[in-house]
Amino acid sequence: MEILWYALLGLFLAGYLVLGGYDYGVGLLLAASPGENPRRRALTALGPFFLGNEVWLVAAVGILFGAFPMLEGELLSGLYPAVAAALAGVILVTAAVQLRSRPSGAAARARWDGLIITGSALAALGWGAVLAGLLQGVPLHANGHVAGIGHLFTPFVAAGALTLVGLVAVHGAVFLTLRLPGGAGEHYARMGRRLVPVALVALASATVLGLLTDRVRETAQQPVAALLLPVLLAVALLAAGRALARRRAGLAFVASSAALALPVLLVAATTWPYALVSSVDPAAGLTVSEAAASTPTLRLLSWLLIPLIPALLGFQAMSWWVFRGRIDNRAPVYW
Amino acid sequence: MTSESTGLGMAMDALLIARLQFATTTSIHFLFVLVTLGLVTLLVYLQTAWAITRKPEYERLTRFWGTLYLINYALGIATGIVMEFQFGLNWSGLSRYVGNVFGAPLAMETLVAFFLESTFLGMWIFGWHRLRRGVHLALIWGVAITAYASAFWVLVANSWLQNPVGYRMENGVAHLTDFTALLTNPTLGMAFGHVVSAAVLTGGLLMAGISAYQLIRRTTDYALFRRSLRIGLITSALASSMVMGFGFAQFGAIGGVQPTKFGGDAERSAIVTEWTARFGPGDYTPPVWSTAALGFMILIGFALAWSWLLLPLLFRDWIIRLRFPLFLMLIAVPLPFVAAILGWLAREGGRQPWAVYGLLPVSDAVTPISAGVLLTSLIGFAVLLIALAVTNWTLLARRAHRGAHDLALGRSPQPGNGLDDHQPMHVLAG
Repeated sequence: MEILWYALLGLFLAGYLVLGGYDYGVGLLLAASPGENPRRRALTALGPFFLGNEVWLVAAVGILFGAFPMLEGELLSGLYPAVAAALAGVILVTAAVQLRSRPSGAAARARWDGLIITGSALAALGWGAVLAGLLQGVPLHANGHVAGIGHLFTPFVAAGALTLVGLVAVHGAVFLTLRLPGGAGEHYARMGRRLVPVALVALASATVLGLLTDRVRETAQQPVAALLLPVLLAVALLAAGRALARRRAGLAFVASSAALALPVLLVAATTWPYALVSSVDPAAGLTVSEAAASTPTLRLLSWLLIPLIPALLGFQAMSWWVFRGRIDNRAPVYW
Repeated sequence: MTSESTGLGMAMDALLIARLQFATTTSIHFLFVLVTLGLVTLLVYLQTAWAITRKPEYERLTRFWGTLYLINYALGIATGIVMEFQFGLNWSGLSRYVGNVFGAPLAMETLVAFFLESTFLGMWIFGWHRLRRGVHLALIWGVAITAYASAFWVLVANSWLQNPVGYRMENGVAHLTDFTALLTNPTLGMAFGHVVSAAVLTGGLLMAGISAYQLIRRTTDYALFRRSLRIGLITSALASSMVMGFGFAQFGAIGGVQPTKFGGDAERSAIVTEWTARFGPGDYTPPVWSTAALGFMILIGFALAWSWLLLPLLFRDWIIRLRFPLFLMLIAVPLPFVAAILGWLAREGGRQPWAVYGLLPVSDAVTPISAGVLLTSLIGFAVLLIALAVTNWTLLARRAHRGAHDLALGRSPQPGNGLDDHQPMHVLAG
């Protein structure tokens, strides 16, 4: 049963990175689209999906707390600076996107846009650092506590953080290519194609740094997954670039979505059967079943929540269906 | 479960900082949640009235109060996300020792309530003129129902901290034995009624106060704000009685299960003796300020109940013609917010020194991390959230000042929405 819940946790985390990922990508790209009209257009493309995207994170943390309480406490507090940075970024983006168009002055809106850009960068860097931090293990001691925060400041974590920035930037550009009409869409397609090599370089440097770092090598419980999944990620990025070149925006979006979901699979598969690997004491690591809540809790959550998951996904799918396709000049403008 | 190596002084500092951060974040979050819950209830009324009567006035009311609701919601969701992470970041002992029980209602809250609420709200904002009216109306009902469900599950979790039930301890870790006990917790039912009626009171008074402000300024939108003044005032009066009813009804239940909070002297000393035997000597008395907060909150409650006296003045619009009642309603707007914070201080402060009453002291629940990290986090998040909160209220006040003209929410779709570079931008409005 804990495997089912671990899979659900992975589903919601990956869903968050895919959906929240293009929020942050669009946010980052505001920096590359100065001027009120292009920015408003990009935010209108995000429009109806934005609020529904951010809450995938909330759902993932809810599952983490309900079904994996031990993991929740040690993972979040063990990676404190990275989680805090990501959280600050999420708050900034969430508030700034919703509020930026409430004042009507251009200067005030530009200031809010600055917050959206900063927040998007922080969120991507922070979640990248969290994922990389999991791949290099945390100093989890036998008493069950993680010691200190210094363990997080390594070149590998920095490269992981930058890789996620690269991935969301590509993904954001692909999303805007898919959603915006005519010239605006093509503008972002060109931008996306230029960003793919940048993301690839970041991914390659993170992979090489990981291979050179003892801690990362020792953390990898499944070396095959650790080597195969970064390659798959690179393939997904290349496929996204190629699909953009062939003007297949839908295909590009599938590929860049895969690129955002793969890091979650990478972390889960590489560290399996552990949920949290200890870098100081192999026996102190938390396996998935050790990290899970006890049976009565999981049974309760399964009875109450699993029947509702189709409804949750169904309402999200309804929103995607109702607002599908490219925006036009009759699209409601609110953000 | 003892304080670890960092030394007692250091651990105490870290504990104080973590508690201050929790109090700050929770208070800010709660100020926005009150308005979210209160206004969404009124929005359900307004949009349902619009659907039934088809009067354009109700559509404009829905759009105007909906805009204020959405400005407020931006911080409600942002601070709500911080709340969720804060447990893991600063209070990892909660997940470690009692996560098997305490985590379940929070998981329910995020999945069945928060997740759906935001999904529905996104569709509601952008579904104007796009979805069928019935579907659009159902969405605001969905937002309201999930918002109430959210409040319910959060209070299930909070009530468990106040009075742990339905669990057994094994090797120092709590395991769930009876989930229905969590739902029938004596500290839950009346508290839920109390909190949601406080939210409706806050929303009602906010609506009455802002309408009063517009009428004081002799708005050109007289009919619209007259209508919302009446709705807001009647809501406030009804809710003020409910707040007091549910509030006073809590004392009996809480006194029974939390003797150090509201219990008699005999029960209080009995439980302190028992804790001293089990956990060693210590200070088991809640801080004095938690009782003081309770007193001030009750005073504000009585003051707000005076809104009943204003109801007869609705006859022939005396309430507007006399003008001074308008000023009364305007200056009363902050009161429910103050009362709500005081109420939480009484409920949470009165639980001290326990994270889980009689089970887990706050000193064992706090994350064993250096005070420096916690202080950086406290200052960083406090500055960020307070700055965002103040900005948010400024935006709310400006929108309230500008009135119901020129609203972006629910504008009918028209070419020239600014998405085409060759057309001038018409959508500079908020």
